[in-house]
Amino acid sequence: MIRIDNIGKTYRTPQGEFHALRDIDLEIARGEIFGIIGRSGAGKSTLLRIVNLLERPTQGRVLIEDQNVTAFEGEALRRLRQRIGFVFQHFNLLNSRTVYDNVRLPLRVAGELSSADQKRRVGEVLELVGLTDQARKYPRQLSGGQRQRVGIARALANRPSVLLCDEATSALDPETTQAILRLLLDINQQLGLTIVLITHGMDVIRAIADQVAILDQGHLVESGKVLDVFLNPRHATTRSLLADIGLESENGLTSASASGARVVRLTYQGETAELPVLSQLARESGVDFSILLGSVGHLKGTRYGQLTLEIKPPDEAGFQRLLASLSGRGVHFEVLR
Amino acid sequence: MDAVMNALANFEYWPEIGTGTLDTLIMTGVALLFTVLIGLPLGVTLFLTGPQHRSPSARVARLQATVYTALSFIVNVLRSVPFLILLILLIPTTRWIVGTSLGVEGSIPPLVIGIAPFFARLVETLLREVDHGVFEACRSMGATTRQTIFWALFPEALPGLLSAITVTAIALIGYSAMSGVIGGGGLGDLAVRYGYQRFNTTVMIVTVAILVVLVQLVQMLGDHFVRRLSHR
Repeated sequence: MIRIDNIGKTYRTPQGEFHALRDIDLEIARGEIFGIIGRSGAGKSTLLRIVNLLERPTQGRVLIEDQNVTAFEGEALRRLRQRIGFVFQHFNLLNSRTVYDNVRLPLRVAGELSSADQKRRVGEVLELVGLTDQARKYPRQLSGGQRQRVGIARALANRPSVLLCDEATSALDPETTQAILRLLLDINQQLGLTIVLITHGMDVIRAIADQVAILDQGHLVESGKVLDVFLNPRHATTRSLLADIGLESENGLTSASASGARVVRLTYQGETAELPVLSQLARESGVDFSILLGSVGHLKGTRYGQLTLEIKPPDEAGFQRLLASLSGRGVHFEVLR
Repeated sequence: MDAVMNALANFEYWPEIGTGTLDTLIMTGVALLFTVLIGLPLGVTLFLTGPQHRSPSARVARLQATVYTALSFIVNVLRSVPFLILLILLIPTTRWIVGTSLGVEGSIPPLVIGIAPFFARLVETLLREVDHGVFEACRSMGATTRQTIFWALFPEALPGLLSAITVTAIALIGYSAMSGVIGGGGLGDLAVRYGYQRFNTTVMIVTVAILVVLVQLVQMLGDHFVRRLSHR
């Protein structure tokens, strides 16, 4: 659907060249929610804005449905942007216009629908975001969450194939954030819309993303399925971002555990996560263990868990038996010490 | 008090005052119309070629900078010449445009030339103050510059634009009185001819009182519309 091919962006500043992005390659599949995460200044906003060419890359190209859109200019570029919805952190609504007129604006810009059809379409998208009864209000009369719903409705008005979200929930309180994320997930599932979102919070990624890419100082340091990245973060930035939401890695813990003890990390997902693995294991093997670190939860409806255990087995054979019985239950494990 | 009442009772210049007021209203009204017609596009051009809106293409950016610098210079020159001197300087130009430099017609060109640059600067500032996010949103939905200006920037800046028009109208009332010095007609002309040259203080005072009332009315009208159109 979208291919980001060797994208780089360099700004010329009085202090010399500043590389906002370097050699970024990403492939975003149709119907996917693709999260791009990084600390502020990592270049994620620039990358998103390059997708609809609000900013021009200084290197590389962006392909949308196999078309090299970086070559687009003028009318072709405007037509392309009409097919890409953009949701802003600070909503960017017209305060002088009603909700209805705000959502209708992109339809007027595209100029493809008759007045009656525009009216109908505005009604449809307002219903989709749950704001039918607020159509006559002005943005200033709405809450932050409602304003963002208007922003999303506006982005959806022209039936885009892609929705780009620039920190769409960063200006909202946690509860509203959850509601907006649910809305995005709904839209993704109902309309099969591809969503690219950028955020600085792993909780947003955990809630709705299928794929994640981690940016650090303009470099793409890691990318993959959210589950894989969450369970096996390879890069320090990823681990630190995970630590922000309480999903820490075991670095340091391993060496801090008692001597003679073994440290094993268990990873399980799907059905395995529903089984009482630990208690069964303890009963059968008679081995004691304590949990050093753990996280369990849902990633887009799939249950997953990761536990780091400190185990004090009576002997090596007992330890091997324990590992064998873990394998028997479909639990993926890794012996850390 | 009695002296004032007597003076007003014996006041014989009401017909002149009536004509003068009407002339002032016509000068101000017509000049305001042309000021908006010229100043608004000028202000938009200043905004679009200004430092905040330079194109990423170096060629276009250079063109923008040239246009901005030139317009900005002309605007600054016109604004820095005191209006009374501008009036005199523009006499030949005025003759060329309307055929005379006297009376109501003769006052309108210098009024417009004197005040349109001021109004253009107000427009430029107002557009700059519109949240940049609105501009971004329009770009992201594929709007043309024209669509962005007419469907987003003008509506957003409308209360401010009305305030600017009010301020400009009041300044015009003041300037139109000044044009009386070179025989421009209207209340200013009366004040100069009767009040200054013939020492008729009553005419002077009545003229000033009417000007004060006019300014008040314009301001109240402007405020009323601004309030009705603000959704903040």
